[in-house]
Amino acid sequence: MTILGITMTEQALACDAEPGDELVLRLQRAEPSAVAEVYDAHHVAVRAFAKRLLGDAASAEDLVHEVFVSLPNAVRRFRGDSALRTFLISIAVNHARHYLRAAQRRRRALSAYGDTNDHESRDPEHEARRKELAELLTRALDKLPIEQRVAFVLCEVEERTSREAAEIVGAPEATLRTRLFHAKKKLRLALETEGLR
Amino acid sequence: MSKDLLGEATRALRETEPVSEFEARATRTRVMTGLHQTRVRRRTRWAFLLPIAASFVAVSAWGAASGQARATLDRLERFVGLTARTPNRATGIARKSAAPPALPAPSPEPAVLAPSRDPEPPSPAPIAGLQPQASQPSNSPSASAARVERADPNLSLYRVAHAAHFIDRDPARALAAWDAYLSAAPNGEFAPEARYNRALSLVRLGRVTEAKSALEPFANGAYGAYRKAEATALLERIGP
Repeated sequence: MTILGITMTEQALACDAEPGDELVLRLQRAEPSAVAEVYDAHHVAVRAFAKRLLGDAASAEDLVHEVFVSLPNAVRRFRGDSALRTFLISIAVNHARHYLRAAQRRRRALSAYGDTNDHESRDPEHEARRKELAELLTRALDKLPIEQRVAFVLCEVEERTSREAAEIVGAPEATLRTRLFHAKKKLRLALETEGLR
Repeated sequence: MSKDLLGEATRALRETEPVSEFEARATRTRVMTGLHQTRVRRRTRWAFLLPIAASFVAVSAWGAASGQARATLDRLERFVGLTARTPNRATGIARKSAAPPALPAPSPEPAVLAPSRDPEPPSPAPIAGLQPQASQPSNSPSASAARVERADPNLSLYRVAHAAHFIDRDPARALAAWDAYLSAAPNGEFAPEARYNRALSLVRLGRVTEAKSALEPFANGAYGAYRKAEATALLERIGP
C-alpha cells in the first residue's frame, strides 16, 4: 500500500530546514524559488493530510494553496523545534477551519443530489467498498469538533505519534490523547448508527 | 465489530487515492501566481504610499518652517469647534488685511478710561490658557498653547505684559512690558494685540499724544477691522 505521508519521508528529510538556514531566510524574503522548492518536497504530505482532514479533493487543493502562499509570512514563527513538514501541517491545521466548512457544505450539496463524486471507480468491489468506507468515515468526522477531528486524522489516519500531533496542534500530549479518545468513541457510535448502506 | 469497522474505515481514508500529477502541478502554478501577485501588490503599495508619505513629510516640514502648519491647524481646530472663536491672530490680520476678521464686541467706553470694565484681553486663546484666572480661560486647549509657545519664542514677554496689563492693572509696568515684547518681536505673532494694549497703557498714563499716534493705525484700518471701532471710539473720546 502506498501511504503518501510516509513514502515521502526521505524526500522531506532531505529538504528539512532550521531557522537560520538559507532556505528559511529565502522563504522569509518570499522568494518564489524557495517556496517552489518547499512545495516540491512537501506538497504530497500536505495534500494528503488536507484531503484526509477535509474529505474533499477540491477543498484540499485550496488548503494546500493557502498553506504555501502564507508560508513566507508564517515561516517567521518557525523556531526549528519541529521539522519543516510538521510546521507545514500545523499551518494547514490553522487554516483548516474555513476550508472544512466549505468541504462540509459541498459534501452536503453533493449527497443531496446523490452525487458521491465517484465518477472514476477503477476497481470493482474492493475499490467500491474502500471508497464507501472512506466516505462514511468522512461524514462521521463532519460531526466532530475540529480539534477532535484533527487529532483523529493526525494520530489514526496519518499514524503520527501523539507527541508529533501535539506539536502540530500546539497542545499538550495529554489533551491530544483525550481528544483522540473522545473522537474515536463518537466515530464508533456514528459508524454503528449509520452502518453500511 | 464497530472497532473493526472504524479501523477499516480509517485504513480506507488513509489509502485515499493520490491526487493526479496534473492537479498538483496546477496548484503549484496557483501558488506561484499567488506569490507573484502578493509581491506585485506589495511593490505597488510601496510605490503608491512612499511618494504620498514623502510629500506629507515635505509639506509638514515646510509648513512647520514657514508657520503655515500652525495657522492651518488653528483654522482646522476652529472649523471643527475644538477651539472657541478667538480674536484674530496677528499674522492673519497683517497678511490678510483685505479679509476682515471677526470683530470683537464694540466697547464704546474703553477699558483704560474705566478700568473696572476693561475690554476683553486681546490675547488669543492660547494666551488665556496660560493664565487660567484671566477673562478667557475656557478658550485655550493646552495643545494649542504649546503650539503657540513653539511658534513664538517671545511669548513669555507677551505673557508678562499681559499679566501687568490685565491682572495687575499697572499701566506703567504694562507699557514697559509691551515695549519689551514689541522690540523683541516687532512682527511677532501677537504684535497687533501688543500695539493696541500699549496704546491703552499710554491712554491710562495720560500720555495722550503718544496714545493718539498709537491708536491711529488701528482707527485707519492698518490692521483690518481689528480694534478699528474701539480705536476710533477712543480717539473720539480723547479729542483733538
